[in-house]
Amino acid sequence: MAMIDIQGLSVTFRSKGHEVRAVEDVSLSVAAQESYGLVGESGSGKSTILRAICGLAPVSAGRILIDGKPLPQGRAFSRQVQMVFQDPYASLHPRHTIDRTLSEPLAIHGLPGSDAKVVQALQDVGLPPAFRFRYPHQLSGGQRQRVAIARALMLEPKILLLDEPTSALDASVQAEVLNLLNRLRAERGLTFLMVSHDLAVIDHMCDRVLVMQHGRAVEELARADLANARMQTGYARSLFEASADRLMETK
Amino acid sequence: MSPLLEVQNLRVTFDTETGPVEAVRGVSFSLGRERLGIVGESGSGKTMTGRSVLRLIRPPGRIQADRMVFDGHDLMTAGEREMRALRGKRIGMVMQDPKYSLNPVMNVGDQLTEGLRRRDGLGRADARAKALAALEAVQIRNPERVLTAYPHELSGGMGQRVMIAMMLIPEPDLLIADEPTSALDVTVQAEVLSILDRLVRDRGMGLIFISHDLRLVARFCDRVLVMYKGKIVEEIAAGRLMQAQHPYTQGLLNCLPRIGGSRAALPVLDRSGGWAQEGTQ
Amino acid sequence: MTSLPARQGWRGWLTDPNPRSRRQARLGQAWLAWLRIRRNGLAMLGLAIVGLLLLTALLAPLIAPHDPVVQDLSRRLQPPGTPGFLLGTDDFGRDILSRIIWGSRVTLYIIALVAVTAPVLGLMIGTVSGYFGGWVDAVLMRLTDIFMAFPRLILALALVAVLGPGIFNAVLAIALTAWPPYARVARAETLTVRNSDYIAAVRLQGASHLRIIAGHIVPMCLPSVIIRVTLDMAGVILIAAGLGFLGLGVQPPMPEWGQMISAGRKFLFEQWWIPTMPGLAIFLVSLGFNLLGDGLRDVLDPRSAPK
Repeated sequence: MAMIDIQGLSVTFRSKGHEVRAVEDVSLSVAAQESYGLVGESGSGKSTILRAICGLAPVSAGRILIDGKPLPQGRAFSRQVQMVFQDPYASLHPRHTIDRTLSEPLAIHGLPGSDAKVVQALQDVGLPPAFRFRYPHQLSGGQRQRVAIARALMLEPKILLLDEPTSALDASVQAEVLNLLNRLRAERGLTFLMVSHDLAVIDHMCDRVLVMQHGRAVEELARADLANARMQTGYARSLFEASADRLMETK
Repeated sequence: MSPLLEVQNLRVTFDTETGPVEAVRGVSFSLGRERLGIVGESGSGKTMTGRSVLRLIRPPGRIQADRMVFDGHDLMTAGEREMRALRGKRIGMVMQDPKYSLNPVMNVGDQLTEGLRRRDGLGRADARAKALAALEAVQIRNPERVLTAYPHELSGGMGQRVMIAMMLIPEPDLLIADEPTSALDVTVQAEVLSILDRLVRDRGMGLIFISHDLRLVARFCDRVLVMYKGKIVEEIAAGRLMQAQHPYTQGLLNCLPRIGGSRAALPVLDRSGGWAQEGTQ
Repeated sequence: MTSLPARQGWRGWLTDPNPRSRRQARLGQAWLAWLRIRRNGLAMLGLAIVGLLLLTALLAPLIAPHDPVVQDLSRRLQPPGTPGFLLGTDDFGRDILSRIIWGSRVTLYIIALVAVTAPVLGLMIGTVSGYFGGWVDAVLMRLTDIFMAFPRLILALALVAVLGPGIFNAVLAIALTAWPPYARVARAETLTVRNSDYIAAVRLQGASHLRIIAGHIVPMCLPSVIIRVTLDMAGVILIAAGLGFLGLGVQPPMPEWGQMISAGRKFLFEQWWIPTMPGLAIFLVSLGFNLLGDGLRDVLDPRSAPK
């Protein structure tokens, strides 16, 4: 059964009389423990889909099922789905220590054993325990993104929504964070829904990918089709060709 | 032929509460009428190197160099007046995000013609004609409409083209482009690069192209400087970048995921080598 | 703490890059802020003046040379410099220096009460308004507009007229007229913060509105409000003095600076020192708070903080 099942999703933003259709009639389905990618250029609506799942964007049509059931509300939702944001400089509260950031989800849900869990969470994402009482500005971008990943995993969700988790990071740090995400997915059987503009990152991380343009789904590709340039649509092909320097060089 | 720009032993130091921090530590290079790429990760000092050439480092930052000469002008001893005459007119600079580089309350036409009318004393009609020509040169299809637009009405790619057009109006001999395409989509990125490329070839302009993206620089530039922690660790012809010798350059190349590559864990940059330790605080 | 290297001492403890507890982390940040404000000479001058006010108020019974209320008509209207009466005496023969020293207690009392009431009210209204938006925002902001539309002193006057003169009513009147600017500041800060990723993240974790506002939004608004409060303190002192001057604040014979000026104004030409000395005290304290506020802005405002 599909872990995430989206049918005919439309998202419409209304502001000052005019409507902006950010997502139009998109359907997709992600199996349990699968890693699914959304790729497209800015304004293609790929991040909006993630926000719609989280209830951070207004859904105007369609339905979203998680694990076969309609979106759970409130706290039940947060124990199933969590999100990692694009910019690690903006996604951690600047005046909270790492300890507070990580223990907050436990406090919200009234879960015990906060101390041990925070130490364990830091270790899981490869941060030294000495970082526990640091503030975000005392960490590098990659370390912050590790904290953000640790925070998303505090409630042990089944699904992780990843919104360009490495696009703000340096190449060498990107590799470390991608490795970390892959390791955590394998260890915990997580389902990933990942947004990126970088086809190489998507190819490395995802089993299937949906190409989007102007809020619409253009084409769904399996990983093998992407690597072998078996696209059906012109747009997916042009996107692929613009990323030609990210191909595995054939020697 | 003497080089357009020559820099020897450039140092940029910031005095902070915890003591001086060196952002650039002895960088030397020379530039002809070519495309020079400077690559490095954040904190490598690549942006500071670019800004130093224009002496755009604010206190508490300090610039020191044994020699920094642009086309016969000594940039180290030049007065503020001489620097102002060089900035924009002889040396242009394009920044990463056009949102912060364009004046939000002035329309594009006024921003493009301001310099022409004030500095070169051109009439309204002449200045406008030049601005239109510059917008056409950066492949903007309806330049009349863009002239009357405000920066927030432009898309990212359009804004970046306007920035480039603005820098090109005084026909500089040297353009410093700091991550000019990082905020843009891949398809737009290709267009902006081809515009820059044509300008170097047609006008014989020198270009310093600062980027974090090794593959982009390899594809686009003639020569590449790889920077790490304020130092140049390797200088290499762009075409040979994939055969780089330095462990840092190799590490950076290897840690990139590739379409069709293996899904095994990506090789991680090994910072335990002697090159990474040297001179760190 | 035995694990600390002895040579670093408490300074090393404060600047430890890896604090061992939340308290140490917080104190470390405060220490860095203190280092930053210490480099600002004018802010330190402001801090010194405010510190002097605190000390004066605290030690008033010890340092005041005379009783501030006991009258001695044989010594009335002595000029400054008279032996035993450094700043002269007023028309009832009371020592002006002693009255100013005791009056600092009243000033401090007013400042403290206003500082703990108006900003808290403003912060609550502003953050709630900015966070929820929609009709909540509309109602609360129109209410703020109404309070802002009245001239502060006139509104304070009206309130005191209704409630009756007295120091507590004066403070209440000032607090009720002082909150709207804080609500505005807090709302503006909230609007920039509420759509940020870290608020979205905590919302995704299922946090309640109360938790988000109190734990995540208020800390971001606090610096701007603190700066604003410090800068407004001069105005509060002046309004308190104004109410005293008009006879609606502190009642005689209790010494209060504004009321001292009021009582002394009929002697302005012949015995200039009677209204001038408390005037100077008001000026000095207002200046102190303004300088401190400017310095705090450099330290606390995230927009001007060095990267």
